[in-house]
Amino acid sequence: MSAAAPPVAPPVTKNASPGASAAAHQAAAKRRRRRNLLVGWSFILPNFLGFAALTLVPVIGALAMAFTQWDSYSTPKWVGLDNFQRLWNDSNFWAALQNTFYYAAGHIPLTLGVSLGLAVLLNQKLRGVHVLRTAFFFPYITSLVAVAVVWNMLLSPDSGPVNQFLSFLGVDHPPGWTSSRDWAMPALIIASVWRDMGYYMVLFLAGLQTVPAELYEAARMDGAGPWQRFWHVTLPGLRPTTFFVTVMITVSSFKVFDLVQVMTEGGPGRSTLVLSQLIFREGITQGRFGYASAVSLALFLICLVITVIQFQMQRRSER
Amino acid sequence: MKLKKSLARIAPLVVATALTATACDASGTDSSSSSDGKTVVKVALWNYKTTPEFKALIDGFEAKNPDIDVQPVDILADSYPDKVTTMLAGGDTTDVLTMKNVTDYARYATRGQLLPLTDEATKLDKASYSGLDDYNLKGKYYALPYRSDFWVLFYNKDMTGKADMSKLTWDDYAKLAKQFTKGSGSDKVYGTYLHTWRSVVQAISSAQTGGDQLGGDYGFFKDQYDMALGLQKAKAVLPFSAASSNQITYDSQLTTGKAAMVPMGSWWAAALLAEKQQGKNDINWGMAPMPQIKSDGKTVTFGSPTAFAVNKKAKNADAAKKFVTWASGPEGAAAVAKIGVTPAYTSDKILDTFFSVDGMPTDALSRTAMQPTTVKLEMPVSDKTSDIDQILKEEHELIMSGEKSVDAGIKEMDKRVKDEVQ
Repeated sequence: MSAAAPPVAPPVTKNASPGASAAAHQAAAKRRRRRNLLVGWSFILPNFLGFAALTLVPVIGALAMAFTQWDSYSTPKWVGLDNFQRLWNDSNFWAALQNTFYYAAGHIPLTLGVSLGLAVLLNQKLRGVHVLRTAFFFPYITSLVAVAVVWNMLLSPDSGPVNQFLSFLGVDHPPGWTSSRDWAMPALIIASVWRDMGYYMVLFLAGLQTVPAELYEAARMDGAGPWQRFWHVTLPGLRPTTFFVTVMITVSSFKVFDLVQVMTEGGPGRSTLVLSQLIFREGITQGRFGYASAVSLALFLICLVITVIQFQMQRRSER
Repeated sequence: MKLKKSLARIAPLVVATALTATACDASGTDSSSSSDGKTVVKVALWNYKTTPEFKALIDGFEAKNPDIDVQPVDILADSYPDKVTTMLAGGDTTDVLTMKNVTDYARYATRGQLLPLTDEATKLDKASYSGLDDYNLKGKYYALPYRSDFWVLFYNKDMTGKADMSKLTWDDYAKLAKQFTKGSGSDKVYGTYLHTWRSVVQAISSAQTGGDQLGGDYGFFKDQYDMALGLQKAKAVLPFSAASSNQITYDSQLTTGKAAMVPMGSWWAAALLAEKQQGKNDINWGMAPMPQIKSDGKTVTFGSPTAFAVNKKAKNADAAKKFVTWASGPEGAAAVAKIGVTPAYTSDKILDTFFSVDGMPTDALSRTAMQPTTVKLEMPVSDKTSDIDQILKEEHELIMSGEKSVDAGIKEMDKRVKDEVQ
């Protein structure tokens, strides 16, 4: 390149009409828009292709599969709404649905409360606070099977330390935990809260950094005590984080599978059978992929409705 | 410039073709014959290194047939049925498929994925085979069993002393279990151990009463449940809830001297021998016939055979058939008996081989245990088997953990099987 090139202007001829000039302008703008669009697409294309191949297509496939009878080997047979009719009449589905809600009702508020409490406590400038933070986060990165095995040992009905402690406190008949219909779900909830609290604590800790220190100063000057500062400064300041964390815990609660599979396998009886497990059992074990897809569609709709409600509530509270 | 454009257009095609070609090559691990001209027979099996019967059969067959090279296709035991189902769905050409259970066998055979072996099966001396009839699908056979496990009563000789265990009824067994129970706290040893599987109670009552596990009427389970729960109440057996929450293994109960008697499948003998050889345990064990409901001198127990089948898409079907027939015959039986595995084909000679394995108990009682009068199939084969199995398992857990009474549990089994499956 030599010196600065003269600015490129659209060629204007003496006899050209103003209309023709506008048309040329428009054409150039259109070309530019198209080029920008192409550039934009080329940026998101690799990501989109991955999303399409690994998420979108399987989701649409599962949706279509819910209307078929398919054993993964023979040709799928279109059965219309049969799978959904079966779902309606399947006592396993209703048991799994009820158990999933039971689990979520215990897991969501407990995890939220415990992780928020931990975050507030460990947000103080204390000696060894980093070690404590790491210790609470540790269960989250531990293998889930190890977590399940350890909790099964802790909660063992006769020789587990938990029941031995309860006996020491004078409890005559400590719970049978995972072998009892009434206590198996609480046992799962305890284990899962223990595992998840560290992760959500980290999110809350990050959220706490965004609450302006001046607000605490102002509150203090107005004579607010620790509880009032928490209620009137911390909680409102954490609202976006709380919303995000609640949505995340809710979705993960409804999708729970691994911990249940390892700790109780849905038992005793079907007292801890959850929807994801029913999907696995029907699809992979029994080879009824059509019916499993119908159950997964039901689970998807439940998650969708609950998330939409949460977003609506969040919007309303922001107004 | 033009060349660049053309290259840009062609390049993806070239890459795609290259990838496809590579993929073809990878999947077509082909070759129906090896580099030294031998016919290759590929056998789908599980946990090759820890399941010595496969090596014994392959080595034995190759020694007799030097022109055939048998190659194992090793699959993890837990995912074996799923993997084989997927392989067959994808048109896999592995020649021989091991049939881990009869339910999967029925599924593959009825879908037309296995080659008929009816000619080979009819040539066999049925009287000498255990489990052959379980492969009869409307007069046709698609697999031949090479091993047949059945349940016996394993016991610790040092803990049972001179007790006569040759013709036990379940009442006798319960009395002995109480008698052998000793100590308390961490020193406690139980008279027996009943593993958490539903078969321990349900399959044995089905086999010995003739009750149908697919029938939807499960009153025939009652006596056996009463016996098992009675032992639990008498504290002569580790409670079901403790065994299931602690994920107790049956092996540890016998080999660490925690239980004197353990009803279990004959496959355990080979594992106990291997452990002894590796110095993992030094237990003085023996086998007795399964206790009986009726004391008519007959031994009725339950079990399940394991078989080889030939893939309909096998590359070398003839050589594959040769391997399957050999493995299920006297020579294959001798090869597996040599390592303490119970073959489907039995004769006095084979039994001698089985009992001559180093470490195998050679007493008369163990020998009697290995010759039951009747071996019933653990669970009948039907398209409803797996659904009913799930319901029976769930209710079994509730009865054994004391969450439901025997009557309420059986009533629920009847109701659920009728409402949900039949």
